[in-house]
Amino acid sequence: MSKKRMSLFVLAILVLSLVLAACGGTAEKKVCAVLDTGGENDKSFNEFTLKGAREAADKAGLEFAHIVSESDADYEKNINNFVDEGCGLIITVGFLMGDTTKAAAIANPDVNFAIVDVDYWPGFGCDEGVDSCYSEEGGLSNVTSLMFAEDEVGYLAGTLAGCMSETAVIGTVSGMEIPPVVKFVVGYQNGAKAQNPSIEALNVYIPDFNDPTTGKQAGETQIGQGADVIFGVGGNTGNGGLLAAHEAGLMAIGVDVDQYNTYPEVQASLMTSAAKNMDVATGDAVTAYANDTLEAGIQLATVANGGVGLASYHDWDSKVPAECKAAVDAAAAGLTDGSISTGYAP
Amino acid sequence: MNFTDITFILQLTVATATPIALGSYAGLFSERSGVVNIAIEGMMLMAAMMGAFVSGYTQSLFWGVVAGMLSAAMMAAIHAVVSIRFKTDQIISGMVINLLAAGFTGHIYQIYLVPPRWPGSAGTFPELPIPFLKDIPFLGKILFQHQPIVYTMIILTFVIHYVLFYTPWGLRMRAVGEHPEAADTLGINVYFTRYANVIIGGMLAGLAGIWLSLEWVGTFNINMTGGRGYIALAALIFGRWTPFGAFGAALLFGLANAVQVYTQTLVPEIPAEFLQMMPYVLTIIVAAVRRPIPPAAVGQPYEKE
Repeated sequence: MSKKRMSLFVLAILVLSLVLAACGGTAEKKVCAVLDTGGENDKSFNEFTLKGAREAADKAGLEFAHIVSESDADYEKNINNFVDEGCGLIITVGFLMGDTTKAAAIANPDVNFAIVDVDYWPGFGCDEGVDSCYSEEGGLSNVTSLMFAEDEVGYLAGTLAGCMSETAVIGTVSGMEIPPVVKFVVGYQNGAKAQNPSIEALNVYIPDFNDPTTGKQAGETQIGQGADVIFGVGGNTGNGGLLAAHEAGLMAIGVDVDQYNTYPEVQASLMTSAAKNMDVATGDAVTAYANDTLEAGIQLATVANGGVGLASYHDWDSKVPAECKAAVDAAAAGLTDGSISTGYAP
Repeated sequence: MNFTDITFILQLTVATATPIALGSYAGLFSERSGVVNIAIEGMMLMAAMMGAFVSGYTQSLFWGVVAGMLSAAMMAAIHAVVSIRFKTDQIISGMVINLLAAGFTGHIYQIYLVPPRWPGSAGTFPELPIPFLKDIPFLGKILFQHQPIVYTMIILTFVIHYVLFYTPWGLRMRAVGEHPEAADTLGINVYFTRYANVIIGGMLAGLAGIWLSLEWVGTFNINMTGGRGYIALAALIFGRWTPFGAFGAALLFGLANAVQVYTQTLVPEIPAEFLQMMPYVLTIIVAAVRRPIPPAAVGQPYEKE
């Protein structure tokens, strides 16, 4: 290669990189989503996060891209690729991506991040109070945490369970004893007791989210103790509880998403699901970003703003009596106007 | 806790002890013939996945059982070849099989065992109460109102005891596991005996995995064995490498778990994790008090003179 061609080559690279840099700076707003390994058809967090983000971006006329992580080793690479592509808002999903998202947010203060179901507290991500995490000093002034009021939707599920139970004994088959799970359980138990003060609420925590075998055993034990409504709050472990209720011909309540779609084997027993509407939460975040109103900090999805709620009754629509539906609606109205408290204290 | 509760807890104990007992029989065949087997977990997981996969797509539990047992036997064959033919460290070989099973089953699950592709579960084996016996007070409910794999496990306990201690096959197996040189001198084919028993063990581990996905839960999910393969190994050691001992240990571990689930609703102050570790603490104490003596040649590859 001659000297002249060499310098031309260098010049070309220089020009190209300048052009690319300019693109990154002045391009239109772009929304990007990094999904977890569950993939875009998981009927849960990833699928609904993607749906909400994509629809909101289309509506606002923003460019949109997403990628599915092949393994947890890919999070960092995928986020950084999107940063390099000039994404202005990067959405990430779930607890496992918490650390990577935090690191990327600190390294790229000009890019906005929204993470589903993860909040940062002192010791996890920042040093002092929770509010200070999402500040310049805390380093996360560009992060929005999309959180869900599990206790509120748990309260609605409990209201339904308390109304439907004939034995006045209800159960929860729960996963690990971590805040989102505990919030569901406490809300559920208090909702049921508000509906029927004499109700007995059983609960088992199983420190594993992938153990339906023990979950079913726990569900059968609770049924043996008289429970006739089982609320499964723990991924596959909770599904074991739903299965126990199904096999005994009793009532079950699903969690997180409308499990009528995700766990068709128990459809006949599934009254409803205590759902977190990830699509609403992420859609709202994208819309806020489009309008330049996206704020750092914790955005709580509640019954009041439609971010959490009971899913459809499906096959049980005709079997749930009007008084129970009315009780659930009344509880939702009470939670919305603040006249009802779920009784959950962190 | 009243009488009905106790009967019910014991019935659940027998059912949930099934994969642990079958898993320890898998270990028994392998270790009695001289091959350490920590890969029970991986073989169970593979069988649970293949059982669910094949039964879902064929909508036939029968083919699910066949596929599950064959897949676990294949994992066992890999372990056998690596340990016997290539004389690799058997712990490492077992570990590799566990990792391989975890990765492979997780991958297949993500693609074929979730909607929209997943055609739906083929269901579970029906409960088969045994006529007359099921009416025996107390014991009838505990032992004779179960699904087929539970009965198979109970029958196998006696069969394996007989085979191990009263047949030429069992004698060869024990000889090869205790003193392969002597066995070889007497004309026993050490390699064949080891291959055969490791693979038979694999099929039993497969049955344990099938219990999870086709008898108890009806579907598969990632890492659904949840360490039961390792608990089975502990039961084998606890039971001093005998079928009745392993059966008893499996029941004890199952009982600890059932009581744990039961008491948590009554005494929520005791953390679940504390009660869940009790079987392992018990294993350590028993091992310390009454030293378990494994087959003398276990873990040593046999080198023909």
